[in-house]
Amino acid sequence: MNAPLKPKDYKSGIKPIWCPGCGHYSVLNAVAKAMAALELSRDDTVLVSGIGCSSRLPAYTDSYGFHGVHGRGLAVAQGLKVARPDLTVITLGGDGDGFSIGGNHFLHACRRNVDITYIVMDNEVYGMTKGQASPTTPIDWDSSKLTPHGPGVRPFKPAAVALATGAPWIARGYSGNPNQIARLLSEAIQHKGFSFLHVLSQCITYCPEQTDWKAIVHEREAEPLTDASEAAALFFAESGFETGLLYHQPRAPWPPQHEQQPASLDDIAERLRV
Amino acid sequence: MTGSAELQRFLAHAVELEEEAMTRYQELAEALRAHNNLMVAEFFESMAEEAAKHLAEVREAATDDALPRLAPWEFDWPAEAPESASYEAVHYRMDLRQALELALANERSAGAFYAEFAAATDDEATARLAASYADEEAEHARRLQERLNELPPTSPSQFEDDDPAHSPE
Ligand SMILES: Cc1ncc(C[n+]2csc(CCOP(=O)(O)OP(=O)(O)O)c2C)c(N)n1
Repeated sequence: MNAPLKPKDYKSGIKPIWCPGCGHYSVLNAVAKAMAALELSRDDTVLVSGIGCSSRLPAYTDSYGFHGVHGRGLAVAQGLKVARPDLTVITLGGDGDGFSIGGNHFLHACRRNVDITYIVMDNEVYGMTKGQASPTTPIDWDSSKLTPHGPGVRPFKPAAVALATGAPWIARGYSGNPNQIARLLSEAIQHKGFSFLHVLSQCITYCPEQTDWKAIVHEREAEPLTDASEAAALFFAESGFETGLLYHQPRAPWPPQHEQQPASLDDIAERLRV
Repeated sequence: MTGSAELQRFLAHAVELEEEAMTRYQELAEALRAHNNLMVAEFFESMAEEAAKHLAEVREAATDDALPRLAPWEFDWPAEAPESASYEAVHYRMDLRQALELALANERSAGAFYAEFAAATDDEATARLAASYADEEAEHARRLQERLNELPPTSPSQFEDDDPAHSPE
Protein backbone atom coordinates (compact mmCIF):
# COMPACT_ATOMS: atom_id res chain seq x y z
CA MET A 1 0.00 0.00 0.00
CA ASN A 2 1.25 3.49 -0.77
CA ALA A 3 2.11 5.72 2.20
CA PRO A 4 -0.63 8.29 2.78
CA LEU A 5 0.04 11.67 1.24
CA LYS A 6 1.23 14.46 3.51
CA PRO A 7 -0.06 18.03 3.44
CA LYS A 8 3.01 19.13 1.45
CA ASP A 9 2.09 16.64 -1.28
CA TYR A 10 -1.08 18.64 -1.87
CA LYS A 11 0.89 21.82 -2.60
CA SER A 12 2.20 22.65 -6.05
CA GLY A 13 5.75 23.82 -6.74
CA ILE A 14 4.49 27.34 -7.36
CA LYS A 15 5.39 29.65 -4.49
CA PRO A 16 2.74 32.09 -3.29
CA ILE A 17 3.40 35.77 -3.94
CA TRP A 18 1.18 36.90 -1.08
CA CYS A 19 2.59 39.45 1.36
CA PRO A 20 4.50 37.97 4.33
CA GLY A 21 2.00 37.62 7.19
CA CYS A 22 -1.04 37.34 4.88
CA GLY A 23 -3.81 35.17 6.37
CA HIS A 24 -4.31 33.43 3.03
CA TYR A 25 -1.16 31.34 3.68
CA SER A 26 -2.93 29.89 6.66
CA VAL A 27 -5.93 28.91 4.53
CA LEU A 28 -3.62 27.30 1.97
CA ASN A 29 -1.99 25.27 4.74
CA ALA A 30 -5.41 24.31 6.11
CA VAL A 31 -6.61 23.20 2.66
CA ALA A 32 -3.53 20.98 2.26
CA LYS A 33 -3.97 19.58 5.78
CA ALA A 34 -7.68 18.83 5.31
CA MET A 35 -7.03 17.15 1.96
CA ALA A 36 -4.33 14.99 3.55
CA ALA A 37 -6.48 14.14 6.58
CA LEU A 38 -9.35 13.03 4.34
CA GLU A 39 -6.88 11.30 1.98
CA LEU A 40 -8.54 13.02 -0.96
CA SER A 41 -7.40 11.98 -4.39
CA ARG A 42 -5.67 14.88 -6.14
CA ASP A 43 -7.16 13.66 -9.41
CA ASP A 44 -10.73 13.81 -8.13
CA THR A 45 -10.62 17.14 -6.32
CA VAL A 46 -11.14 20.49 -7.99
CA LEU A 47 -10.49 23.91 -6.48
CA VAL A 48 -12.39 26.69 -8.23
CA SER A 49 -11.86 30.39 -7.56
CA GLY A 50 -12.69 33.86 -8.81
CA ILE A 51 -10.23 36.76 -8.87
CA GLY A 52 -8.28 38.34 -6.02
CA CYS A 53 -5.23 37.58 -3.89
CA SER A 54 -7.28 34.83 -2.19
CA SER A 55 -8.43 33.42 -5.52
CA ARG A 56 -4.83 32.61 -6.45
CA LEU A 57 -4.96 29.68 -4.04
CA PRO A 58 -5.77 26.89 -6.55
CA ALA A 59 -2.47 27.55 -8.35
CA TYR A 60 -0.63 26.72 -5.14
CA THR A 61 -2.26 23.30 -4.72
CA ASP A 62 -1.51 20.12 -6.60
CA SER A 63 -5.03 19.13 -7.61
CA TYR A 64 -7.23 20.25 -10.47
CA GLY A 65 -8.02 23.93 -10.37
CA PHE A 66 -9.94 26.59 -12.21
CA HIS A 67 -8.99 30.25 -11.72
CA GLY A 68 -12.20 31.75 -13.00
CA VAL A 69 -13.75 35.14 -13.58
CA HIS A 70 -14.24 37.69 -10.78
CA GLY A 71 -17.21 36.64 -8.61
CA ARG A 72 -18.05 33.62 -10.74
CA GLY A 73 -16.26 30.80 -8.91
CA LEU A 74 -19.54 29.52 -7.49
CA ALA A 75 -21.24 29.38 -10.89
CA VAL A 76 -18.41 27.31 -12.36
CA ALA A 77 -18.17 25.09 -9.28
CA GLN A 78 -21.90 24.30 -9.16
CA GLY A 79 -21.97 23.47 -12.88
CA LEU A 80 -18.96 21.21 -12.43
CA LYS A 81 -20.45 19.36 -9.45
CA VAL A 82 -23.78 18.79 -11.17
CA ALA A 83 -22.03 17.47 -14.29
CA ARG A 84 -19.49 15.39 -12.33
CA PRO A 85 -21.02 14.45 -8.95
CA ASP A 86 -18.13 12.06 -8.32
CA LEU A 87 -15.68 14.97 -7.83
CA THR A 88 -14.96 16.86 -4.60
CA VAL A 89 -15.46 20.51 -5.46
CA ILE A 90 -14.14 23.35 -3.28
CA THR A 91 -14.70 26.98 -4.22
CA LEU A 92 -12.61 29.81 -2.79
CA GLY A 93 -12.36 33.54 -3.00
CA GLY A 94 -12.33 36.82 -1.13
CA ASP A 95 -15.00 39.01 0.41
CA GLY A 96 -14.89 41.32 -2.62
CA ASP A 97 -15.16 38.41 -5.01
CA GLY A 98 -17.93 36.63 -3.11
CA PHE A 99 -20.01 39.41 -1.58
CA SER A 100 -19.67 42.30 -4.09
CA ILE A 101 -19.43 41.24 -7.69
CA GLY A 102 -20.32 37.62 -6.87
CA GLY A 103 -23.00 38.46 -4.28
CA ASN A 104 -25.86 37.25 -6.39
CA HIS A 105 -24.20 33.89 -6.98
CA PHE A 106 -23.62 33.59 -3.24
CA LEU A 107 -27.34 34.04 -2.48
CA HIS A 108 -28.41 31.43 -4.99
CA ALA A 109 -25.67 28.95 -4.12
CA CYS A 110 -26.88 29.00 -0.49
CA ARG A 111 -30.46 28.56 -1.75
CA ARG A 112 -29.72 25.87 -4.32
CA ASN A 113 -27.65 23.67 -2.01
CA VAL A 114 -25.37 21.89 -4.45
CA ASP A 115 -22.92 19.58 -2.63
CA ILE A 116 -19.85 21.83 -2.72
CA THR A 117 -17.80 23.72 -0.14
CA TYR A 118 -17.32 27.48 -0.33
CA ILE A 119 -14.49 29.17 1.57
CA VAL A 120 -14.51 32.96 1.74
CA MET A 121 -11.18 34.39 2.88
CA ASP A 122 -12.49 37.62 4.37
CA ASN A 123 -9.91 40.37 4.96
CA GLU A 124 -12.50 43.15 4.81
CA VAL A 125 -10.70 44.78 1.90
CA TYR A 126 -9.94 44.47 -1.82
CA GLY A 127 -6.36 43.29 -1.44
CA MET A 128 -5.36 42.64 -5.01
CA THR A 129 -6.42 46.06 -6.30
CA LYS A 130 -4.50 47.84 -3.51
CA GLY A 131 -6.73 48.34 -0.56
CA GLN A 132 -10.21 49.66 -1.35
CA ALA A 133 -13.24 49.10 0.90
CA SER A 134 -15.22 45.89 0.40
CA PRO A 135 -18.71 44.86 1.59
CA THR A 136 -17.33 43.71 4.95
CA THR A 137 -15.16 46.79 5.64
CA PRO A 138 -16.01 48.52 8.94
CA ILE A 139 -18.19 51.62 8.44
CA ASP A 140 -15.48 54.02 9.67
CA TRP A 141 -12.33 52.42 8.17
CA ASP A 142 -10.57 55.49 6.79
CA SER A 143 -7.30 54.05 5.48
CA SER A 144 -8.22 54.19 1.80
CA LYS A 145 -7.94 57.47 -0.08
CA LEU A 146 -11.08 56.48 -1.99
CA THR A 147 -13.11 56.52 1.25
CA PRO A 148 -11.20 58.99 3.45
CA HIS A 149 -14.01 59.14 6.03
CA GLY A 150 -14.74 55.41 5.87
CA PRO A 151 -17.16 53.72 3.48
CA GLY A 152 -20.08 54.98 5.60
CA VAL A 153 -22.07 51.81 4.90
CA ARG A 154 -22.98 49.07 7.34
CA PRO A 155 -20.86 45.97 6.72
CA PHE A 156 -22.45 42.90 5.17
CA LYS A 157 -23.04 40.01 7.60
CA PRO A 158 -22.01 36.89 5.69
CA ALA A 159 -23.38 34.30 8.12
CA ALA A 160 -26.75 36.07 8.43
CA VAL A 161 -27.11 36.32 4.65
CA ALA A 162 -26.09 32.69 4.18
CA LEU A 163 -28.69 31.61 6.74
CA ALA A 164 -31.45 33.77 5.27
CA THR A 165 -30.87 32.34 1.82
CA GLY A 166 -30.85 28.72 2.99
CA ALA A 167 -27.28 27.56 3.58
CA PRO A 168 -27.51 24.35 5.64
CA TRP A 169 -23.94 24.43 7.04
CA ILE A 170 -22.28 27.64 8.26
CA ALA A 171 -18.94 27.85 10.05
CA ARG A 172 -16.32 30.46 10.79
CA GLY A 173 -12.55 30.09 11.09
CA TYR A 174 -9.63 32.42 11.66
CA SER A 175 -6.28 32.57 9.91
CA GLY A 176 -4.50 32.58 13.28
CA ASN A 177 -5.64 28.98 13.77
CA PRO A 178 -5.04 26.97 10.58
CA ASN A 179 -5.61 23.66 12.36
CA GLN A 180 -9.12 24.72 13.28
CA ILE A 181 -9.74 25.78 9.66
CA ALA A 182 -8.49 22.35 8.55
CA ARG A 183 -10.91 20.62 10.94
CA LEU A 184 -13.85 22.74 9.85
CA LEU A 185 -12.95 22.25 6.22
CA SER A 186 -12.76 18.50 6.54
CA GLU A 187 -16.24 18.54 8.13
CA ALA A 188 -17.48 20.88 5.40
CA ILE A 189 -16.24 18.58 2.65
CA GLN A 190 -17.95 15.60 4.30
CA HIS A 191 -21.23 17.49 4.71
CA LYS A 192 -23.68 16.48 1.97
CA GLY A 193 -24.82 19.79 0.54
CA PHE A 194 -23.59 23.37 0.37
CA SER A 195 -21.15 24.22 3.16
CA PHE A 196 -20.09 27.81 3.78
CA LEU A 197 -16.82 28.37 5.63
CA HIS A 198 -16.23 32.02 6.42
CA VAL A 199 -12.58 32.64 7.33
CA LEU A 200 -11.35 35.84 8.97
CA SER A 201 -8.08 36.11 7.02
CA GLN A 202 -6.00 39.10 7.98
CA CYS A 203 -4.58 41.55 5.43
CA ILE A 204 -1.38 42.63 7.10
CA THR A 205 -0.55 45.22 4.44
CA TYR A 206 -3.75 47.26 4.06
CA CYS A 207 -5.37 46.52 7.43
CA PRO A 208 -2.50 46.03 9.91
CA GLU A 209 -5.02 46.67 12.70
CA GLN A 210 -6.39 43.18 11.99
CA THR A 211 -3.48 41.74 13.96
CA ASP A 212 -5.67 42.68 16.95
CA TRP A 213 -8.08 39.92 15.92
CA LYS A 214 -5.85 37.41 17.69
CA ALA A 215 -6.94 38.84 21.04
CA ILE A 216 -10.68 38.90 20.30
CA VAL A 217 -11.36 35.83 18.18
CA HIS A 218 -12.64 32.94 20.28
CA GLU A 219 -14.20 29.56 19.68
CA ARG A 220 -17.93 29.20 20.32
CA GLU A 221 -18.29 26.58 23.00
CA ALA A 222 -21.91 25.58 22.41
CA GLU A 223 -23.12 22.91 19.99
CA PRO A 224 -23.93 24.16 16.48
CA LEU A 225 -27.41 25.60 16.24
CA THR A 226 -29.98 23.60 14.30
CA ASP A 227 -32.87 26.03 14.61
CA ALA A 228 -32.83 28.79 11.99
CA SER A 229 -34.57 31.35 14.22
CA GLU A 230 -32.03 30.84 16.99
CA ALA A 231 -29.22 31.09 14.44
CA ALA A 232 -30.75 34.30 13.06
CA ALA A 233 -30.76 35.78 16.57
CA LEU A 234 -27.11 34.79 16.98
CA PHE A 235 -25.97 36.10 13.59
CA PHE A 236 -27.70 39.46 13.98
CA ALA A 237 -26.38 40.12 17.46
CA GLU A 238 -22.90 38.58 17.38
CA SER A 239 -19.58 40.39 17.07
CA GLY A 240 -18.52 38.23 14.14
CA PHE A 241 -15.47 36.98 16.00
CA GLU A 242 -16.86 33.65 17.21
CA THR A 243 -15.44 30.67 15.39
CA GLY A 244 -16.48 27.05 14.96
CA LEU A 245 -19.38 25.27 13.31
CA LEU A 246 -22.21 27.72 14.03
CA TYR A 247 -25.24 26.30 12.24
CA HIS A 248 -26.02 22.88 10.82
CA GLN A 249 -29.41 21.84 9.50
CA PRO A 250 -28.99 19.34 6.67
CA ARG A 251 -31.46 19.25 3.80
CA ALA A 252 -31.48 17.40 0.50
CA PRO A 253 -28.90 18.74 -1.94
CA TRP A 254 -29.66 19.81 -5.48
CA PRO A 255 -30.32 18.29 -7.97
CA PRO A 256 -33.08 16.22 -6.35
CA GLN A 257 -32.83 12.47 -6.68
CA HIS A 258 -36.01 11.30 -8.41
CA GLU A 259 -37.13 7.81 -7.58
CA GLN A 260 -38.36 7.28 -11.09
CA GLN A 261 -35.42 6.37 -13.28
CA PRO A 262 -35.20 8.10 -16.66
CA ALA A 263 -36.90 5.97 -19.29
CA SER A 264 -34.66 3.76 -21.40
CA LEU A 265 -34.64 4.13 -25.17
CA ASP A 266 -36.56 0.84 -25.45
CA ASP A 267 -39.26 2.15 -23.09
CA ILE A 268 -39.63 5.28 -25.15
CA ALA A 269 -39.80 3.30 -28.38
CA GLU A 270 -42.45 1.07 -26.79
CA ARG A 271 -44.50 4.08 -25.72
CA LEU A 272 -44.31 5.68 -29.13
CA ARG A 273 -45.24 2.48 -31.04
CA VAL A 274 -48.34 3.02 -33.14
CA MET B 1 -1.18 4.00 28.45
CA THR B 2 2.04 1.97 28.38
CA GLY B 3 5.37 3.71 28.58
CA SER B 4 6.16 3.06 24.96
CA ALA B 5 2.75 4.27 23.76
CA GLU B 6 3.35 7.46 25.74
CA LEU B 7 6.77 7.83 24.13
CA GLN B 8 5.26 7.36 20.68
CA ARG B 9 2.64 9.99 21.43
CA PHE B 10 5.34 12.37 22.58
CA LEU B 11 7.46 11.72 19.48
CA ALA B 12 4.44 12.28 17.22
CA HIS B 13 4.08 15.70 18.84
CA ALA B 14 7.80 16.46 18.52
CA VAL B 15 7.85 15.49 14.83
CA GLU B 16 4.82 17.68 14.11
CA LEU B 17 6.22 20.59 16.12
CA GLU B 18 9.59 20.58 14.33
CA GLU B 19 8.10 19.92 10.90
CA GLU B 20 5.62 22.78 11.30
CA ALA B 21 8.38 25.11 12.51
CA MET B 22 10.56 24.21 9.53
CA THR B 23 7.73 24.59 7.00
CA ARG B 24 6.66 27.95 8.42
CA TYR B 25 10.22 29.34 8.41
CA GLN B 26 10.65 28.18 4.81
CA GLU B 27 7.35 29.77 3.84
CA LEU B 28 8.29 33.07 5.52
CA ALA B 29 11.76 33.03 3.98
CA GLU B 30 10.29 32.61 0.50
CA ALA B 31 7.75 35.37 1.09
CA LEU B 32 10.36 37.80 2.40
CA ARG B 33 12.73 36.96 -0.44
CA ALA B 34 9.92 37.70 -2.92
CA HIS B 35 9.56 41.09 -1.17
CA ASN B 36 13.30 41.71 -1.35
CA ASN B 37 13.82 41.70 2.42
CA LEU B 38 16.91 39.56 2.02
CA MET B 39 18.43 39.90 5.48
CA VAL B 40 15.30 38.59 7.18
CA ALA B 41 14.78 35.96 4.45
CA GLU B 42 18.28 34.60 5.10
CA PHE B 43 17.68 34.55 8.82
CA PHE B 44 14.45 32.58 8.40
CA GLU B 45 16.24 30.20 6.05
CA SER B 46 18.82 29.54 8.78
CA MET B 47 16.01 28.93 11.28
CA ALA B 48 14.41 26.46 8.83
CA GLU B 49 17.74 24.60 8.61
CA GLU B 50 17.98 24.52 12.39
CA ALA B 51 14.46 23.09 12.66
CA ALA B 52 15.29 20.54 9.92
CA LYS B 53 18.26 19.32 11.98
CA HIS B 54 16.13 18.92 15.07
CA LEU B 55 13.44 17.18 13.01
CA ALA B 56 16.00 14.67 11.72
CA GLU B 57 17.10 14.01 15.31
CA VAL B 58 13.51 13.44 16.45
CA ARG B 59 12.80 11.20 13.47
CA GLU B 60 15.81 9.10 14.37
CA ALA B 61 14.48 8.60 17.87
CA ALA B 62 11.13 7.64 16.35
CA THR B 63 12.28 4.91 13.97
CA ASP B 64 11.34 1.93 16.20
CA ASP B 65 7.64 1.96 15.73
CA ALA B 66 5.03 3.62 13.61
CA LEU B 67 3.96 6.84 15.32
CA PRO B 68 0.26 7.38 15.99
CA ARG B 69 -1.28 9.22 13.07
CA LEU B 70 -3.05 12.29 14.41
CA ALA B 71 -5.09 14.79 12.44
CA PRO B 72 -3.63 18.32 12.64
CA TRP B 73 -6.32 19.37 15.12
CA GLU B 74 -5.80 16.35 17.41
CA PHE B 75 -2.47 17.47 18.84
CA ASP B 76 -2.24 18.73 22.41
CA TRP B 77 -1.86 22.41 21.65
CA PRO B 78 -4.68 24.92 21.54
CA ALA B 79 -4.07 26.35 18.06
CA GLU B 80 -0.79 26.08 16.22
CA ALA B 81 2.21 23.93 17.06
CA PRO B 82 4.22 25.96 19.61
CA GLU B 83 7.26 26.72 17.44
CA SER B 84 5.31 27.97 14.39
CA ALA B 85 5.92 31.66 13.78
CA SER B 86 2.69 33.59 14.16
CA TYR B 87 1.44 35.35 11.01
CA GLU B 88 0.52 38.42 13.10
CA ALA B 89 4.17 39.06 13.87
CA VAL B 90 5.33 39.17 10.26
CA HIS B 91 5.53 42.12 7.87
CA TYR B 92 7.31 42.73 4.58
CA ARG B 93 9.25 45.60 6.17
CA MET B 94 10.22 43.79 9.39
CA ASP B 95 13.86 44.11 10.42
CA LEU B 96 16.31 41.51 11.67
CA ARG B 97 15.67 42.43 15.29
CA GLN B 98 11.93 41.78 14.91
CA ALA B 99 12.66 38.49 13.14
CA LEU B 100 14.98 37.43 15.97
CA GLU B 101 12.42 38.40 18.58
CA LEU B 102 9.84 36.29 16.79
CA ALA B 103 12.21 33.31 16.59
CA LEU B 104 13.10 33.74 20.27
CA ALA B 105 9.42 33.66 21.25
CA ASN B 106 9.02 30.48 19.16
CA GLU B 107 11.99 28.75 20.81
CA ARG B 108 10.66 29.68 24.24
CA SER B 109 7.20 28.34 23.58
CA ALA B 110 8.64 25.11 22.13
CA GLY B 111 10.84 24.81 25.22
CA ALA B 112 7.85 25.37 27.49
CA PHE B 113 5.88 22.70 25.63
CA TYR B 114 8.65 20.12 26.03
CA ALA B 115 9.20 21.04 29.68
CA GLU B 116 5.48 20.73 30.44
CA PHE B 117 5.32 17.37 28.66
CA ALA B 118 8.30 16.18 30.75
CA ALA B 119 6.66 17.33 33.98
CA ALA B 120 3.25 15.82 33.19
CA THR B 121 4.21 12.34 32.05
CA ASP B 122 4.56 9.29 34.31
CA ASP B 123 6.79 7.56 31.81
CA GLU B 124 10.44 7.98 32.69
CA ALA B 125 11.92 7.55 29.21
CA THR B 126 9.46 10.11 27.80
CA ALA B 127 10.23 12.56 30.60
CA ARG B 128 13.97 12.24 29.99
CA LEU B 129 13.68 12.78 26.23
CA ALA B 130 11.21 15.67 26.60
CA ALA B 131 13.48 17.36 29.15
CA SER B 132 16.48 17.00 26.83
CA TYR B 133 14.51 18.64 24.00
CA ALA B 134 13.52 21.43 26.40
CA ASP B 135 17.22 21.96 27.16
CA GLU B 136 18.05 22.14 23.47
CA GLU B 137 15.38 24.76 22.90
CA ALA B 138 16.72 26.74 25.86
CA GLU B 139 20.19 26.65 24.31
CA HIS B 140 18.78 27.90 20.97
CA ALA B 141 16.98 30.67 22.83
CA ARG B 142 20.16 31.65 24.65
CA ARG B 143 22.07 31.94 21.35
CA LEU B 144 19.30 34.04 19.79
CA GLN B 145 19.23 36.30 22.84
CA GLU B 146 22.99 36.85 22.49
CA ARG B 147 22.58 37.91 18.87
CA LEU B 148 19.67 40.14 19.81
CA ASN B 149 21.75 41.93 22.44
CA GLU B 150 24.12 43.04 19.72
CA LEU B 151 21.50 44.49 17.40
CA PRO B 152 20.43 48.15 17.36
CA PRO B 153 16.83 48.92 18.36
CA THR B 154 14.17 48.91 15.67
CA SER B 155 13.88 52.31 14.02
CA PRO B 156 10.61 54.12 14.80
CA SER B 157 10.15 54.64 11.05
CA GLN B 158 10.63 50.95 10.27
CA PHE B 159 7.16 50.53 8.77
CA GLU B 160 7.18 53.78 6.81
CA ASP B 161 7.26 53.00 3.13
CA ASP B 162 8.44 55.56 0.53
CA ASP B 163 6.28 53.73 -1.98
CA PRO B 164 3.25 52.76 0.10
CA ALA B 165 1.18 49.79 -0.95
CA HIS B 166 -2.18 51.61 -0.82
CA SER B 167 -3.71 52.69 -4.10
CA PRO B 168 -2.89 56.39 -4.61
CA GLU B 169 -6.25 57.14 -6.29
C1 LIG C 1 -14.95 42.02 -13.72
C2 LIG C 1 -13.84 42.55 -12.87
N1 LIG C 1 -14.04 43.66 -12.14
C3 LIG C 1 -13.07 44.13 -11.33
C4 LIG C 1 -11.86 43.49 -11.27
C5 LIG C 1 -10.76 44.09 -10.41
N2 LIG C 1 -10.52 43.30 -9.22
C6 LIG C 1 -9.57 42.34 -9.17
S1 LIG C 1 -9.46 41.59 -7.68
C7 LIG C 1 -10.69 42.58 -7.04
C8 LIG C 1 -11.13 42.50 -5.60
C9 LIG C 1 -10.40 41.48 -4.81
O1 LIG C 1 -10.81 41.53 -3.47
P1 LIG C 1 -11.20 40.24 -2.66
O2 LIG C 1 -12.10 39.37 -3.46
O3 LIG C 1 -11.70 40.65 -1.34
O4 LIG C 1 -9.83 39.42 -2.55
P2 LIG C 1 -8.43 39.74 -1.87
O5 LIG C 1 -7.56 40.26 -2.99
O6 LIG C 1 -8.64 40.74 -0.79
O7 LIG C 1 -7.99 38.41 -1.34
C10 LIG C 1 -11.17 43.47 -8.01
C11 LIG C 1 -12.22 44.45 -7.77
C12 LIG C 1 -11.69 42.33 -12.06
N3 LIG C 1 -10.56 41.62 -12.03
N4 LIG C 1 -12.69 41.88 -12.83
